[in-house]
Amino acid sequence: MQSIAMESNWAAEHLQVIRTLMERSALYRRALAPIMIFNGVVGLAAAALGWGLKIGSPRGFILFWAGVSVVAMTGSFLLVRRQAIKDSEPIWSPPTRRVIQAFVPPLTAGLLISAVVLVNLGVAAEAGGELPLLWVILYGCAFHAAGFFMPRGMKLFGWAFVLGGCVLFAVGPPAWVRPLDCGHGIMGLFFGGLHLAYGGYLYFTERRRNET
Amino acid sequence: MNPEPFLQIDRVIHEKGRLAIMSMLAASPELSFTELRDILGMTDGNITTHIRTLQEAGYLSVTKSFQNNRPLTTCAMTPAGRKAFSHYINLLERIIRQNKPE
Repeated sequence: MQSIAMESNWAAEHLQVIRTLMERSALYRRALAPIMIFNGVVGLAAAALGWGLKIGSPRGFILFWAGVSVVAMTGSFLLVRRQAIKDSEPIWSPPTRRVIQAFVPPLTAGLLISAVVLVNLGVAAEAGGELPLLWVILYGCAFHAAGFFMPRGMKLFGWAFVLGGCVLFAVGPPAWVRPLDCGHGIMGLFFGGLHLAYGGYLYFTERRRNET
Repeated sequence: MNPEPFLQIDRVIHEKGRLAIMSMLAASPELSFTELRDILGMTDGNITTHIRTLQEAGYLSVTKSFQNNRPLTTCAMTPAGRKAFSHYINLLERIIRQNKPE
């Protein structure tokens, strides 16, 4: 009887090892909850700061949020690095490489379009109103593309950005809101609120899974 | 207890190191020698031996090329390897099922 139980445990353990290794090879899971929560906090804090400091010119808006994105990316990288060191794994693992490759095209498009807008500010005087929506949509595309190499929820997270951005673009800002206040609000709502909400969800679901 | 699944277990795959290599390659189209070594934390000698054993069994294909003037060895699972791996997993599942209390 004991032998039967042992054989069953042995087979189950083998399957668990196989599943873990396959996921490690195919799916990127590293530090997702901390990254999401960190980016959410940075997004909300930056939106409040931008609104509080009354960063109202298109140039100021673009440069301010470019600076915020550098802070967010640096922080995310440090979180990934910390977890890789903790797990004794290489930082540049195959799933990490695939996720970065998926992120690069939409984010590069956002960067180049922002640079063009920055150079031609006369043409894009209302940049504060529409550029954030473009960033939101492109960011959503990046997450959706990377979602093929991440847990399933990431693709839905990407869709939330894409659809939310498109809906806001169609509806347009309320007449009583200044375009750039609206821009900080959009950035705070999407880059702050959505990240924080999804980070919280991941944090609690991962903890529950680890407990079981 | 039916001993049949135990007798069918593929001894080439049923080894900790080789099972890890097969599991990684089952989920990735191909992985380089360095990636496999670093992720699995094996020594060069150890992983070379396991890869050779799997290659001789026809489960892995090994391609040697150059990237940035440096030699690059990549491994991929062959159709025979995929079939054997799938069969191995089915056997493990059968063992669990047949030992499950009614």
